[in-house]
Amino acid sequence: MALLDVRNLSIGYQTRKGFLRAVDSVSFSVEEGKSLGFVGESGCGKTTIGMTLMGLLPKNASVMADQIMYKGRDLLKISPEEMRKTRWKDIAMIFQAAMNALNPVQRVGDQIVEAILIHEPALDKPAAQERVEALFDLVHIPRERIRDFPHQYSGGMKQRAIIAMALSCRPSLIIADEPTTALDVIVQDQILDEIKTLQKELILSILFISHDIAVVADVCHTIAVMYAGQIVEYGKREEVFEAPVHPYTKALLGSYLTLGTEKTQLEGLNGETPNLINPPKGCRFCDRCEATGPACRMEIPDWIDVSRTHKALCCKIT
Amino acid sequence: MELRKYIFRRLIEIAIIFFVILTVLFLLFRLAPGDPVTRMVDPNMTPEDAEHLIEQLGLDQPIGLQYLYYVKNFVTGNFGVSFHYGQPVADIILNRLPNTVLLFTTSIILSALFGIFLGKIAAWRKGESTDTWMTIGALICHTVFLPWLALILIWLFAYKVGWFPLTGMISAEVWIDPEAGFLEKAWDIVHHMILPLGTLFMIHFGSYLLIMRSSMLDTLKEDYILTARAKGLEEKTIRNHHAAPNAALPVVTSVGLSLAFSINGGALTETVFTWPGIGRELVFSVSNNDYPLAQASFLLIAAVVLLANLVVDVLYAYLDPRIRYE
Amino acid sequence: MMGRFVGAWRLFRENLIGRIGLTLLIVFALMAVCSFIPPLIDPMYQPMHGVDPEISHSTGPSMKHWLGTDFIGRDIFSQLLAGARIAFMVGISAAFMSIFLGTLIGMIAGYAGKTVDMALMRLADMIMVMPTLLVVLILSSLFGQLHIWTIVLIIALFRWPGVSRVIRAQTLSLKQRPFIEAAKVAGASHVRIIFRHITPNVLPLALLYMTFRVTSAIIIEAALAFLGFGDPGTVSWGMMLQWVWKTGHMFQAPYWLLPPGICISLLTLSFYMLGRAMEEILDPRLRQEGASD
Repeated sequence: MALLDVRNLSIGYQTRKGFLRAVDSVSFSVEEGKSLGFVGESGCGKTTIGMTLMGLLPKNASVMADQIMYKGRDLLKISPEEMRKTRWKDIAMIFQAAMNALNPVQRVGDQIVEAILIHEPALDKPAAQERVEALFDLVHIPRERIRDFPHQYSGGMKQRAIIAMALSCRPSLIIADEPTTALDVIVQDQILDEIKTLQKELILSILFISHDIAVVADVCHTIAVMYAGQIVEYGKREEVFEAPVHPYTKALLGSYLTLGTEKTQLEGLNGETPNLINPPKGCRFCDRCEATGPACRMEIPDWIDVSRTHKALCCKIT
Repeated sequence: MELRKYIFRRLIEIAIIFFVILTVLFLLFRLAPGDPVTRMVDPNMTPEDAEHLIEQLGLDQPIGLQYLYYVKNFVTGNFGVSFHYGQPVADIILNRLPNTVLLFTTSIILSALFGIFLGKIAAWRKGESTDTWMTIGALICHTVFLPWLALILIWLFAYKVGWFPLTGMISAEVWIDPEAGFLEKAWDIVHHMILPLGTLFMIHFGSYLLIMRSSMLDTLKEDYILTARAKGLEEKTIRNHHAAPNAALPVVTSVGLSLAFSINGGALTETVFTWPGIGRELVFSVSNNDYPLAQASFLLIAAVVLLANLVVDVLYAYLDPRIRYE
Repeated sequence: MMGRFVGAWRLFRENLIGRIGLTLLIVFALMAVCSFIPPLIDPMYQPMHGVDPEISHSTGPSMKHWLGTDFIGRDIFSQLLAGARIAFMVGISAAFMSIFLGTLIGMIAGYAGKTVDMALMRLADMIMVMPTLLVVLILSSLFGQLHIWTIVLIIALFRWPGVSRVIRAQTLSLKQRPFIEAAKVAGASHVRIIFRHITPNVLPLALLYMTFRVTSAIIIEAALAFLGFGDPGTVSWGMMLQWVWKTGHMFQAPYWLLPPGICISLLTLSFYMLGRAMEEILDPRLRQEGASD
């Protein structure tokens, strides 16, 4: 049985201009000790999915799904208090270091100790501090930096501390939201290696969110490509990376392969992502797709199975 | 260690600024119409005393030397003799200083604490009626005309219901009474202090609440608040432990920035309540053409504001590690 | 430009605080405008010199004197109207001057940088820590009674630093923008860059600060008059309060004590509310809504 099994998840926001469907009927599952990567442009709904699993959506958001099964419990049906206790203990999150994810006026060590003590009240403070030391060893930060403040850390070190914090309550699932963005390439590689090693050693499941398909392909066993709130291609790393079928995935890979160019606009892609308050009737990608035909605008695309583990949402593939 | 260096640098800066103020005041004094001697020396003095004072202040010297006398007298604490009291000015203002500091610091600390506390709650309940009423109340407190508020408080609580004395700082009968112990005397001062304190409290508290509220709203949008939620902390812990301390930092800054404004209010409050402080002494001496006292009171207040600013900055550096370790 | 204004006005109308502020302000403006009328009806309604010959002490409200009279029989209502005129005059002119100074100095400091910037900002720091009211007090002890315009000028001279800091910061960030660079490359002079390219961009912010400066100028003038150092030739609300206080009528004559204080407080409140509403509209950070990915 999968550790996490999500069926038909839709998430929307009530905004001033109307109801915005940020995520539209996505289904996915994460096996124990495996990793699933979400990749797509910003605004495609991948972060929203992560926030939903953590129960951290803003108040104006509404979630609909057939189920969000985690370890045999439906996260949709548990109380907010139970959800709070689940956070970090069972599902933790690795934030982007470039964000202000660490409180600037508290010592890094104290922030991790706080997370441990809230979920394991039986533990006393020295024991929690010992665990922080072990965690710092694990992510290769010198122990004497435990009592430092976040601004005294370098970008890479901050990212390691954030990883240590995510591991502090020994969760089974970790959501990593753009954990290497805004780090320079060498540090990025180190951090990715770190995450891979930790995953193997600790048998972690990881839900990896990134706009960079190369990063996702490096870390994840399974890849879900997202576009405008929908998953458009889903399959094993090798399948999606080496034999993509959806035109959007191809475009993403194309932009990855032209290294060295600025990635402000995806290669070969013109136009903007569709408005999610009033999405187009047919395929959402049709306006930017090279292979688009009249049927794409009218028909709602259906899932095509490429193999037993590989599928895509497109009208053009037969 | 770094902090000590910083304080030292700031003290030198303050000394320079103060020296500039001192010089400007001297120039204005010479520019002003009228005879400097009649301004500085009480016409009711005996000729010998007057002679002595003129010599001391260097008023018989050419203007360049006069300036040097002025600076020297300032450094040695010789400000001349008050017309009204007939005493050395230095004695009078040193006697008044503690009263001002007591009233002023108590009111600032109390209003900052309450403002931070209620601003936190208002921001936390943004959009609810609690927030609306707190904001409106704070706006009114912040903009009410201080001397008028003081008069209204006296009228209501001292005159109508008689809970507090009308004005002053002490009641003579308590202090003359040989039986009265420390507690009675302390209570007497507190009793006199409540209304002026209330006046200053209301004026400051409103603006601190508004600053805390908006700073807290900004802080709640920060990423580390999301981290705190993700860690599974309880909402109360997030509010009190992660949002409020960070949001309170700008309030500390604003205490420093609004210090000059607060001092104006302090002088007005002292005057209406005849609280024997430096602010009242300044107003009083200006009304009575008692220039030696006015000049010294003004300079002392300027010095206090400059030093208080330093205290606030050091406090800020102590509270915010980002500054402390720079 | 027009479209931006219409959009801002629409946002303003949705803002409760802004609406209350503007309404109050209009009421006070009407009071100021109407201050010319009572003396035309009867010379005894002259706020300063008009005395009701039948009254020689303070009396309560009546048909003849809506808010009563002061201790020598002058009409309080006409004084209140005249006070509104003075408050507007002092507030707006002092605020305008200090904003003008502050904006100019801020732009120069930000644009010139280096030594000029440092010198100007040090000066600003120095002036910022001076309590304006007490400065005016010591000046009036040196130079005697100050005329109302002198007071306005002193307030303006001591209230610019706050504005200039904000404008300086804004100018510094504008300086980094490509269009300034482009203007420089095109050979525009410094003066031209400051007035053609920087001024229009800092003006909304300067206007916002003007509303806050109006309140502080009104308060300082009123406090000064209250302490007895106002211009003896004008009737201001602060002066009215001084008369109640100094003649010992504060316990007997609430009809005299309440109106001027309420007026000062409400007028400053209305400008303050207006400023806050404008701040929310001008600062997009404050009106974020909904969520984004």
